[in-house]
Amino acid sequence: MPGKKASMGEYIARRLFYSLIIAWGILTITFILLRLAPGSPADNYLANIAASGRARDIAQVQAAIDARYGLDKPLYLQYADYISNLLHGNLGWSLSTSLPVSELLSKHWIYSFELIFLSTVFAVLIGVSIGIYSAVKQRTKADYAVTVFSFMGISIPNFWLGIMLILIFSVKLGLFKTYYDTSLPLFSLENLKAMTLPVITLGSGMLAGYSRYVRSAALDNLRKDFVRTARAKGLPERTVILKHVFRNAMLPVITIIMLDMSGVVFGGAYLTEIIFGIPGLGRISFNAIFADDYAVVVAVTLIGAVVTLIFNLLADIAYTYLDPRVRYV
Amino acid sequence: MFKLSRKLIFVTIIAVIIATIAIDFFAMSGKLLSPLGYFYAFFSVFMLLYVVYPLYKNRRLTSYYWERTRKNRLAMLGLFFIVFLVILAIAGPFFTQDPNHVNFEEKNLPPVGFTTSQSVYDSQTGSLRNAEISGTWKHPLGMDDKGRDILAMLVSGARVSLQVGLVATFIALIIGVIIGVSSAYFGGMVDNILMRFTDIMMTFPFFLLLVFIVFIFGADLTLIILIIGMTGWTGAARIVRSEALSLRTREFVLASRALGASDARIIFRHLIPNVMGTLIVIATLSIPGVILAEAALSFIGLGDPTVASWGRILNAGQDNLETTWWVAVEPGIMLFLTVLSFNFLGDGLRDAFDPMSEL
Repeated sequence: MPGKKASMGEYIARRLFYSLIIAWGILTITFILLRLAPGSPADNYLANIAASGRARDIAQVQAAIDARYGLDKPLYLQYADYISNLLHGNLGWSLSTSLPVSELLSKHWIYSFELIFLSTVFAVLIGVSIGIYSAVKQRTKADYAVTVFSFMGISIPNFWLGIMLILIFSVKLGLFKTYYDTSLPLFSLENLKAMTLPVITLGSGMLAGYSRYVRSAALDNLRKDFVRTARAKGLPERTVILKHVFRNAMLPVITIIMLDMSGVVFGGAYLTEIIFGIPGLGRISFNAIFADDYAVVVAVTLIGAVVTLIFNLLADIAYTYLDPRVRYV
Repeated sequence: MFKLSRKLIFVTIIAVIIATIAIDFFAMSGKLLSPLGYFYAFFSVFMLLYVVYPLYKNRRLTSYYWERTRKNRLAMLGLFFIVFLVILAIAGPFFTQDPNHVNFEEKNLPPVGFTTSQSVYDSQTGSLRNAEISGTWKHPLGMDDKGRDILAMLVSGARVSLQVGLVATFIALIIGVIIGVSSAYFGGMVDNILMRFTDIMMTFPFFLLLVFIVFIFGADLTLIILIIGMTGWTGAARIVRSEALSLRTREFVLASRALGASDARIIFRHLIPNVMGTLIVIATLSIPGVILAEAALSFIGLGDPTVASWGRILNAGQDNLETTWWVAVEPGIMLFLTVLSFNFLGDGLRDAFDPMSEL
């Protein structure tokens, strides 16, 4: 029974509302975790001061820090401050680099973006083509090869793959021995060269996943009546595959690519940046961890969650927009 | 009468374990078993009574699934490697030397069949000279830059990886089942709140959240296992909820409700046993992710510094790629084969339990 159909506008409004609730939940959980943490973020800083002997009265310094960061206030006021600071885009102060965190992030996010963007393009181009190819050649040697290959791509730890690529190409063959140079433009030849191995590292796991999804979606569509009709009409096989199968198979895959952005891609990008020294958000979070720089680690986690939230929302909207058969519920 | 006694056995054993923890904690200050040991004990008891025993009791169904799984050659290959790994993890440490034993005399020794040219300190002339060093069977996988036997480290790493994989997945599944089943069974407001909470947890990129929590709470193997378990339940909760939702309206559940069965009875006798197949598949497919997460944490230096995890060996090997490349290669191969095996097996099990699903 087709109930009352909600309009697309209403659907998007409801999704937005849910997203706001989730955003609030993300901030709250982060706050709770930070408050549950043993010790205070300033402990390390205090220990350093105590060791250096610069301050005679550590308790006084502690009180000053508590007052400066509002740690002496009751918990609900701290919570209100935390939320209002974040809403004003005030992410705190990075102790190790002596910069506002927001400035640090705005300087570095573009490198993560470049890595993820290039890897996605690489993974989609190759993953979709081999997925369609292996669906068309179902149950042939080529199909089995693609299946085994995608299993391996999913299973290979991407940080190990990165190290192996460095070992083979940089150490043994002496290729791609370039480092990412932030003084050059993003898509300059030198930087693209430095990005080659990282993109293969991050992209290979993604493309293995995409090829599996595309293969299964294409197999579904190959069995559909409209494909049989198209063939019966005498359309060339090429047109049938590209127009009828490919387009319909891409619908679920677009959503999956967007949903994939969170877990697989962000975790992978984090590790890839660390291995190849790309100065993106993962790399600065990694540096911050070992400098005991809380604000940066928190900010990167929050950014990751918020970007994921946006991608989930876009995936929902894109799906209903691209496929008119989907009912808004 | 056996059902009652199984419950009784379970409760008794859990009581014994809890009593041991209490005695251990108060009287012996935690010397008897590590926290991980207790997790392990609990895990084994639960598996024995609620997974192995039902499989044994329903032999006909078990052999049906087994036959179906056996047809999948890749799944069997995976199973063989997993069995090999389990034996290695349990028995291996008795045959290999101490993984933390440092022997500078034999540092940077390559694996069997490889020869490297290194500068060696010559005690007779008191200077450095270049020498060709070949691997020996005494240390078949070579030595790292501190002269630790890599085979021994890999064996002890297998233990770490399996512990993390099994126990963390187990914790995640228990949380997932509790949330999924209560969400589906009670519906309404409970469902709404639990599912929004699941949405929130799902929105955190898993690895970033893990790094964040381990960073603020500290790196201890037990803690890492707990953290992975307590953050990795979202997928299971969703799947269990949707399975339980469809089961809830099935005739046998309605019939038993009409006969006056309590909520608890319906949940424990009907819903949970019927999602068990799905749970086994989810478990097999989430173990590799958990193992990789722990390895990645150790790799970036956030792992437990006291255990020889594969990720930690890899991290150490990464710095000396020019000279001792094998230190970075070997743990990665183990990690890769382990993850591949669980993925193969999980895929085979999924086909066996649910032939309709394509992915």
